[in-house]
Amino acid sequence: MAESKNLAPTEISGSARPGRRAVYGEAARKLLLRPEATSVAALLILFAVFSLLSPDLFPTQQTYISVMAVAAELGIVSIGVTLLMIGGHFDLSVGAVLGLTSYVAIELMRDAHLWPIVAAPAAIAVGAALGAVNGALVVRFRIHSFVVTLGTMLIWRGVVIALTGGFPIMVSIPPLFRDVMSGPLLFGFRLSMVWFFAVGVLGTFVLTRTRFGNWIQARGQNEQAARNLGVPVDAVTIVLFMITSALGALAGVIQVARFASVDALRGEGMELQAVAVTVIGGTLLSGGYGSAIGTMLGAVTFGAIQVGLVLAGAPGHFFRTLTGLIVVAAVILNTSVARRMARSRPLGGFRRGNAETDAALAQGSTIVGSEAAKRGALAAETGSESLG
Amino acid sequence: MTDAAGSHTEQSAPAGRNGQRNAREPRRPIEPIPHDGRPVIEAINISKAFGATTALVDVSLRAYAGRVLALLGDNGAGKSTLIKILSGVFPPDQGDLRFCGKPVRFANPAEARQLGIATVFQDLAVCELLSVTRNVVLGREPMKGVGPFKWLDMKRADEMARSALLQLGVRWERGLDERGVNISGGERQSLAIARAMFFGSTLLILDEPTSALAVRQAGKVLEHILAARDQGQAVILITHNFRHALSVADDLTVLAQGKVAAHFRRDEIEHDELTDLVARIS
Repeated sequence: MAESKNLAPTEISGSARPGRRAVYGEAARKLLLRPEATSVAALLILFAVFSLLSPDLFPTQQTYISVMAVAAELGIVSIGVTLLMIGGHFDLSVGAVLGLTSYVAIELMRDAHLWPIVAAPAAIAVGAALGAVNGALVVRFRIHSFVVTLGTMLIWRGVVIALTGGFPIMVSIPPLFRDVMSGPLLFGFRLSMVWFFAVGVLGTFVLTRTRFGNWIQARGQNEQAARNLGVPVDAVTIVLFMITSALGALAGVIQVARFASVDALRGEGMELQAVAVTVIGGTLLSGGYGSAIGTMLGAVTFGAIQVGLVLAGAPGHFFRTLTGLIVVAAVILNTSVARRMARSRPLGGFRRGNAETDAALAQGSTIVGSEAAKRGALAAETGSESLG
Repeated sequence: MTDAAGSHTEQSAPAGRNGQRNAREPRRPIEPIPHDGRPVIEAINISKAFGATTALVDVSLRAYAGRVLALLGDNGAGKSTLIKILSGVFPPDQGDLRFCGKPVRFANPAEARQLGIATVFQDLAVCELLSVTRNVVLGREPMKGVGPFKWLDMKRADEMARSALLQLGVRWERGLDERGVNISGGERQSLAIARAMFFGSTLLILDEPTSALAVRQAGKVLEHILAARDQGQAVILITHNFRHALSVADDLTVLAQGKVAAHFRRDEIEHDELTDLVARIS
């Protein structure tokens, strides 16, 4: 007892900075609480395993290029799905939107003879409009988005099949357009990767640093509270659906530039892959919490599985099985995120200041021995870095 | 308990030895409270029916600045319908609302909120996975940026959250980045009240703020109600708990079967009379 009393002041005044173990411990704790933790782990393990399985083929630049090519298109779709899922909704129609908008882009170029620079934004605008239909149906009739988008998925897929007649439609793509959307970039990486990163960064910014992002999260967690506080919940929902479908259309345009064609089944299955990627990326299926960065990592994980299994010479069905296993594991890990957060507390020395200490700090008072001053000293050391 | 408002705690903590003493002795003066005779909100002969079910019949009520009106009544007496009308969730079938003397008609809750009517619904106050700061500023986020490019000013948001809590006298021991799941029921109510007061409400409506709380936490929330009153807000408190109502209210209105069954000033009634009365009429 006496010893600890003597120690206390030196601990405060001498080294308000917590010990090294506490620093690392706290850093590790914060990292594990991040939604991205699961996808980082999955990615590291997969890269290690595939590199061991095919040491000559997997850890090569060509492989990374292939992985990123798969990840980019799926990733762009998934980031939209992520924002939507954080907002508490699902979009099963995004694959069909991708197919339909690809068709629109090709028709505008082939029959209307529009330049790609006009056709591509037009296709994305059509995507946004299709998303607005989803959103309006969900908001107006208060039907679960799962059911609404299941319906629109079937409708729009039917439209694509009818319009294409079931045959692939080809178009000649100007090389410049192809290069800008998905051409080889530095070191052979496709430009779609740049679009992917841009969308990912933008998604992260929107989610964490804008009013709209705050509203998305609030909508996903407690719709009624958000509504009572004046958040335009319905508008948020509709805009979210528009973003999701517009990003689906962007991925569609990238695929059109790459393949110079569209077929009746373009984008089929992508809606569920995007959900899988989002879940691997740490977004809660129940909504309210998630990360666009995690989804980017999830998309890369997906690409790594797809390419890695081929290189390892595994039979084709392994892809689905392994993806499925990872999705289930990710969900199990992620559903405990909220619980882990509830249980865990910051390690010693990392608590941020309270009003009292703030007041003490503002006055510049450092009364040695007073509770407030102790906390104030700690807050001064640790609070500043966590605030910044 | 160490707060300046400690004197209220005695009354508000319902753990009192016997109710009569609690109700009689340390009574707060009622007359000195500023009371200019003009109600902040006035409901005049409000009626509301849902299909064949009549929820409210000719209900009138007034809430004054710097006074707490307790709305009592059994389940189904029409309390929630009445506050939903007051906070703009739906309009009355008949009757008028007056806000600061002017007739008003709310199309939605946002319009009511713009006038300064803040309603704290029972369990709907906090988003569980948002931080304290983000919860406080939700819907009124401070922004910074250039031209059309605007983003959240988190530093100012933290300041706003801190001063909102400070204004209510809440000593927030933990970080403002604490998420909603880690916040107790009492703290949630405090947060919601702090938020409502900080953003300049003139009428604070609280729906059963103490019903899910432990005794100590309930005491805290009642203190906050008194703090809001002392800052000149009109407060309408919906509660089942007569003791809580009597410990903070200046006026009491009892609803039964959609009608105003009784109306008292606090000094006109004691706990036992109130219990008897409500038992008799509902």
